[in-house]
Amino acid sequence: MSEKSYFDGATRRRTLQAMGAASVVSVTGLAGCSDDDSGNGNGNGNGNGNGNGEPEEVSFPLEVQLETNADNSDRVEMVELVAASLEDTGYFETNVETFEFNDFVARILNPEYGDRGHIGCVGLSGTFNPESFCNALHHSGNIGQCCNMSGVSDPELDDMMDSARFGIEVSQDPDLRRERYDEIWHYLAEESYSSIANFSVEDAIMNNSVHGFNGWPFNEGLLSFALYSPTENQVTWMDDDADPRETDLSDVQEGGTLRVGVVENPDSFDPPYSSDTTSTFVQSLIFEQLVTSDLEGNVYPWLAESYEIVDVQDVDRADYEEYMISVAADEEGAIDTTEQIIVVHPDDDPVGDDEVRVLTPEEAADAVADGVFGMRIQYELHEGVTFHNGEELTAENVVRSYEYYENSNVSAQTFDSVLHAEADDEYTVSVYAQVPDAEAERELPGVYILSTEQLDEIEADDDLDRGDIDPREDLTPIGTGPYTLEEFSDQQFAEYEKYDDYWVEEMGVDTIPWFDGPAEFPDGPVIDEIELEFIPDDATRSGALQNDEVDLTYGLATATLDDFDASDDFIVDIVEAGAYDYFQTPLNVEPWDDKRLRQAFNHLIPREVIVEEVFNGYRNPAWTDIPELARGLGTADYDALEAEIRPTNEYDPERAVELIEEVIADHGYESTV
Amino acid sequence: MSLHRFILKRLLSIIPILFGVSVITFGLVYLTPGDPVDQMVALNPHVSPSDEATLRAQYGLDRPAWEQYLLWMSNVLTGDFGQVYSSGRDVSSVVLQRLPETIVLGLFGWIFALVIAIPAGIYAAVNKDQLGDTVSRFLALSGISIPNFWLGLMLILIFSLILGLFPVLPPSREPLYHPRMLWYLLLPGVTIGTAAAASIMRVMRTSMAEELNKEYVTAARAKGLPERQIVLKHVLRNSLISVVTLAATLTASIVAGSVVVEVVFNWPGLGREFIMAINGREMNLIMAITLFTGFFVIIANLIADILYAVLDPRIRYE
Repeated sequence: MSEKSYFDGATRRRTLQAMGAASVVSVTGLAGCSDDDSGNGNGNGNGNGNGNGEPEEVSFPLEVQLETNADNSDRVEMVELVAASLEDTGYFETNVETFEFNDFVARILNPEYGDRGHIGCVGLSGTFNPESFCNALHHSGNIGQCCNMSGVSDPELDDMMDSARFGIEVSQDPDLRRERYDEIWHYLAEESYSSIANFSVEDAIMNNSVHGFNGWPFNEGLLSFALYSPTENQVTWMDDDADPRETDLSDVQEGGTLRVGVVENPDSFDPPYSSDTTSTFVQSLIFEQLVTSDLEGNVYPWLAESYEIVDVQDVDRADYEEYMISVAADEEGAIDTTEQIIVVHPDDDPVGDDEVRVLTPEEAADAVADGVFGMRIQYELHEGVTFHNGEELTAENVVRSYEYYENSNVSAQTFDSVLHAEADDEYTVSVYAQVPDAEAERELPGVYILSTEQLDEIEADDDLDRGDIDPREDLTPIGTGPYTLEEFSDQQFAEYEKYDDYWVEEMGVDTIPWFDGPAEFPDGPVIDEIELEFIPDDATRSGALQNDEVDLTYGLATATLDDFDASDDFIVDIVEAGAYDYFQTPLNVEPWDDKRLRQAFNHLIPREVIVEEVFNGYRNPAWTDIPELARGLGTADYDALEAEIRPTNEYDPERAVELIEEVIADHGYESTV
Repeated sequence: MSLHRFILKRLLSIIPILFGVSVITFGLVYLTPGDPVDQMVALNPHVSPSDEATLRAQYGLDRPAWEQYLLWMSNVLTGDFGQVYSSGRDVSSVVLQRLPETIVLGLFGWIFALVIAIPAGIYAAVNKDQLGDTVSRFLALSGISIPNFWLGLMLILIFSLILGLFPVLPPSREPLYHPRMLWYLLLPGVTIGTAAAASIMRVMRTSMAEELNKEYVTAARAKGLPERQIVLKHVLRNSLISVVTLAATLTASIVAGSVVVEVVFNWPGLGREFIMAINGREMNLIMAITLFTGFFVIIANLIADILYAVLDPRIRYE
């Protein structure tokens, strides 16, 4: 739970650079790795090249070490199951090693990890962006970084992944993008660089007073989405008398209080100055973005009445060269500037070079003024949207909110794609992307819109810094959202009240152009008060729910979920989510450089047994690399994809043994099996 | 006069002790893998090694350990305990906000321990080797052996969930001095105080039993003093010295116990903050909490030393 593994789209800064042996070396060098592993990392790892310098003779049974982080007991149990499955074939002698979380992260992010010959198991969290299930694991730009731990460096695959997201064609043609992802899933099934074992689910457990609640794959949006979401005709209300299993939209009742047991204390209410999911969770009631999303990840205009991609240009990051300025970089790669770095020149390397060319906001504005940008999306704002202080939302709020995200805790992900934001007139804003990007509609507007009053206050007051929009700094957050923060007690609780002049209620949900829900769908959330109780301990949170001190909670241990599920007094809501556990075999080390051995390993992961035995059924086996939630954007035809790829991921020791025997015979490896 | 000098001397000795505590804590945290930047970045694929290096440079985490320590030390000497990396809040304000919560909980547990342990110890010593003594010894042994978190969960299960006598969550809308708090504090207080009560009771029993065998007791009995007066007036006072020593030492274990108990009872004190600080590798916060608790433990021991003189006028501090 404390493990921070997030991942919301976007890709590496250097994605568009031409991939080849030279660039691989520079990426490896960038990650602080010296030249002593130059034998690896080139080639796609699937030939018979001696990937590894170690002269040890390969012999079967093969000794192999499986590694994971010790703090996640489910994952450890899963790794032990896989180890036992490998041992059962007789072809492996396994050893399971666990590490403290930080230690493990440092270990696998070492660019040389892939040369050690171990099989690492990591849990990551994906998003609606299909890329989050392949890029981090396989892009050569992510060697030494999250989380290409085995050093997959396959120019063909890099190209495939880049062209599924970037470029003029794909940014305008979602179908083409789906086709390209389908090619990637097939390619990955064949190469078996990684084995995704399962996909997570999000649980929400509530008592019978909570009606109409539907979960959300990511808990940062769990509450705001469930309370009111016209994209899914979804609204939650409180009713102590009726049975929630037998009510529908026509029974919606207004008023009441929803008490929620929240898993952590939020770091901050200031949107860009927190990166934990709980902070986003508590902010999402107060602040809103230009767009909203449905359960499949489709994007709908929200604070914007509409938006339009007005321009796409064939620009890559090197094209900003003439606008770039030179700044010093130290040996560790720390760049000496207080400005937000938007683009680092793809040919420069902050670790190796003393100076690097960078684009900061000022030069980005110049480039946009000259017409140099990858993409431009124009947002037409609703008129008459008010903040909690009565201020009206204008383009200025949007532009200044983007500026406020500079050099914040989330600037790395924000300025991975955003180039610049500019007001076209009072209610029109253009946001520019660095390169043509199929994810731009989702990635560019990922900024909470803040009030001018507070932005001014922070600029003017010497005692206030950026990051101080937080009741603990005596600044109560002000947004356009449906709830206002009334009281907050650090580590204890937060109380929200409905905002009377919420813009959707003022305008009526029917005035939203894309809304096609039933007439009785309310014009805003109906619950009057929200009380969040911060309860980090699972058992205590579960107790608070049983004792009717909260109405709803989430993130409970799977063993407890069965008990709640069996009880008539509680409802357990399960929705497939984006987190996943995966194994990576050391493809640069003999004999794992033969893809047949990797395929064999994949056949030895008992996915169904793992889900049943380890996760009590509260996970889904990964029959493809892409989970349900990313299907809409990541495959043309999910059923066809699953039919084709599932056989490669089935538990099949016989097939595994065949493949291993082939590997042994072809390479003449010694075997005493 | 000599007592004053003794107190002054002990107060001055706090400085080197706290210095030692800070060096050791800093060293331990420094040697633990990971730093706040690792925690913030963790497995975020957007953050490049160069971004990380830039962040480290910002927080001064790229400097050698001794330099970081000296910088921290010089700030602390000017009263600045630094900031929490993840939220940017002042460490001193966080500690001051949490401190009363832990003091109230600890004090409650400590008083509970004494109130239970001293009478129980006396009873056991007076009825040595009889049924009551055996039962109380059994309970004491259980009290020492039961882990805090398990006891806490069981108390919640029995008294909150099954009997419905207590809320699971602390009444967080009420101020700390509200009477409802006192009621709520019973469960966490009992949890935190049980182990302490058990050890105090055992020591009380032993030292009292020993004292009861002394000649002055025989003399008092021969003189015809009522047994009650012998035990409560003469023997108790003499046997309290070892209890006072133990009670002072137990302050440390109560502070340590608060870490677990606060998590189980969702009590917003320093202990829970400490766990989060360690998980987040929040060096400044860890250092400040350790120093504060170290300070309190030292003061508790000092008070114990002073109490010796009160209990036994023969003790002199030269």
